[in-house]
Amino acid sequence: MTIELERGADQTLLTQMLLQHQVERFYYDEAALLDAHRYDEWITLFTEDTHYFMPLRRTMPRRQLHKEFTQPGEMAFFDDDHLMLSLRVQKLSTGTAWAEDPPSRTRHLVTNVRILSDDGAELVSESHFLLHRTRLRDDLDQWVGRREDTLRRDADGFKIARRHVFLDQTVLHSQNLSNFF
Amino acid sequence: MTSTSPDAPDVLDGLIDLERGEIDRRIFSDEQIFELEMKHIFGRAWLFLCHESQIPKKGDFFEAPMGRDNVLVVRQRDGGIKALLNTCTHRGNAVCRAEEGNVKNFMCTYHGWTFGLDGELVGVPGMSSFYRDELDKAQHPLRQPAQLASYRGFVFATFDPDAPPLEDFLGRTGRLSLDLIAERGDMEVVPGIQKFVLNCNWKFTVDNVFDFYHPQITHMSAIAVGAIPVSTDAIDDGGAKNEEGADLSVPQLPTDAENVVMIAQYGHAISGPSQHAVEKTAGEAYRDVFAWRHTPEAEVAFGPEGNAVGGHPHIFPTSWITVDCQLSLRIPRSPGVTEVWWFSFRDKKAGPAERAAQLARQIHSFGPAGLLEQEDGENWSQSTLQTRGGQARRVPQALKMGLGHGKVRACDGLHIIESPVNEYAQLWTYHAWREWLTGSSWDELRERTTPGDLL
Ligand code: FES
Ligand SMILES: [Fe+2]
Repeated sequence: MTIELERGADQTLLTQMLLQHQVERFYYDEAALLDAHRYDEWITLFTEDTHYFMPLRRTMPRRQLHKEFTQPGEMAFFDDDHLMLSLRVQKLSTGTAWAEDPPSRTRHLVTNVRILSDDGAELVSESHFLLHRTRLRDDLDQWVGRREDTLRRDADGFKIARRHVFLDQTVLHSQNLSNFF
Repeated sequence: MTSTSPDAPDVLDGLIDLERGEIDRRIFSDEQIFELEMKHIFGRAWLFLCHESQIPKKGDFFEAPMGRDNVLVVRQRDGGIKALLNTCTHRGNAVCRAEEGNVKNFMCTYHGWTFGLDGELVGVPGMSSFYRDELDKAQHPLRQPAQLASYRGFVFATFDPDAPPLEDFLGRTGRLSLDLIAERGDMEVVPGIQKFVLNCNWKFTVDNVFDFYHPQITHMSAIAVGAIPVSTDAIDDGGAKNEEGADLSVPQLPTDAENVVMIAQYGHAISGPSQHAVEKTAGEAYRDVFAWRHTPEAEVAFGPEGNAVGGHPHIFPTSWITVDCQLSLRIPRSPGVTEVWWFSFRDKKAGPAERAAQLARQIHSFGPAGLLEQEDGENWSQSTLQTRGGQARRVPQALKMGLGHGKVRACDGLHIIESPVNEYAQLWTYHAWREWLTGSSWDELRERTTPGDLL
């Protein structure tokens, strides 16, 4: 009886571990595409109805912290549908997108991956990131933050049906955001 | 030509040469010049702080820069607006560390001095026990700029009690610039101000406002993917070649022939494609976007000269108004560091679809992730970096486009130059900048920044 129960628990744990592994693997592969400048492949990871959103963060007192991030419909750094995201990718491949030519050297570090919910068709996951960028001779930028994704299952694995990127900075200490998060 | 006050030493001599269209590059890196800018420009000019719609309710505040000072723009109990220097009169601590919000008062978290919305010192811990009731609270309010005023909802302040009234400072050109937002309807700021820091001298960001020579190259990729509507039938054979030596087909913007330049007192200017050129370039898809320009009210408000203006006004020293209803503020932090803020406006009465479309254009053009400004920032920071070398600093900065052909037409209080793409407004801004730095009186400054007949 006890053994049966434990085996059941193991089974659940194994399923969870497998999913955790699949999601992490997905993120590592995605990061590898970005760091290798393979944007044309990267864009295929998004669903047609995706929403790639990076709100502004504001320095607010604790009692008004609920107003810290702007909402969709307000100002944002990124507020892209699939068409807009594709435009950004196309822009990079024109050969005249000077902000990325010479290209940035980026390292996308993804960690603290947590699956928050899963209804079978879609799952919501949270991940933390450190995007480390060097540019030209000695430009150095770092962005740290949290992503909240909706990943939709499809035949090949996952597609990103929503990505909301919450930066830890308020005033950005970088002269552009010409990279993806 | 060169008149100097004791505060404006020889460092200003020969910096700006209007006849040759040359500028001394030291102005982009010299610490002493930066100090003079802080004193004579940012210590005296009317500076944009925020829009009234950002602080609608009593106790609402927004922190805004005035040079190196920071002020809290606060909606008062009686509905008025005050700006309070964000420094406690006890030991200097910030009395507020949030960038915007709503409060009943400002309590300093160092020792607890508490200030009312009007800046009066209303509470001092230990008043009787430590201060023996001998502290005169009336002597220690939060300090305020010398003058504060609004023009059609845009709040400005100056530290100079002798500065002319805001409307006079703005003049016809400055007011017209703000009207290009205010005339659109019942305007409010979209929540969220984009703020980012660039490694550049602030004057490069201003120079760029009027620069219609750069989009064709700088924004080539954005043009290629259709992010800037451009009818690229005309291709320039003039000379850009890629690294392999092949001709780079440069799309000649139709704005080439149709530019409106207005140069004005105190260094304000407008320079960019005419409204006609903007609309012609944008095409049918943008008809609704510009419909507001063709209402009888707007046409009357702008007058014949104002109707011709398509965009790119700059209110000296650091406020740029865009075609798509945004105001960009450039805040000098040091000779090599500038913080850029973007205020985006919308009509409170606009429908959801119109709002969404406008917001999308605003987000996707400017700011650090904007399809346009991504590339601009790098130009400014590389220009700053590469002009500060011991030798590079001695290469004169060239502003010669159209030089000597800028016939100034004085008309109805405006000074207008009709010309293809040119560098008149930049040159004018540098000239005015130089005159500000001499520390001359307001009358002298006005006189010396009144355009002549030719540029
Ligand atoms: S510094 Fe503000 S109370 Fe002392
Ligand atoms: Fe530009």
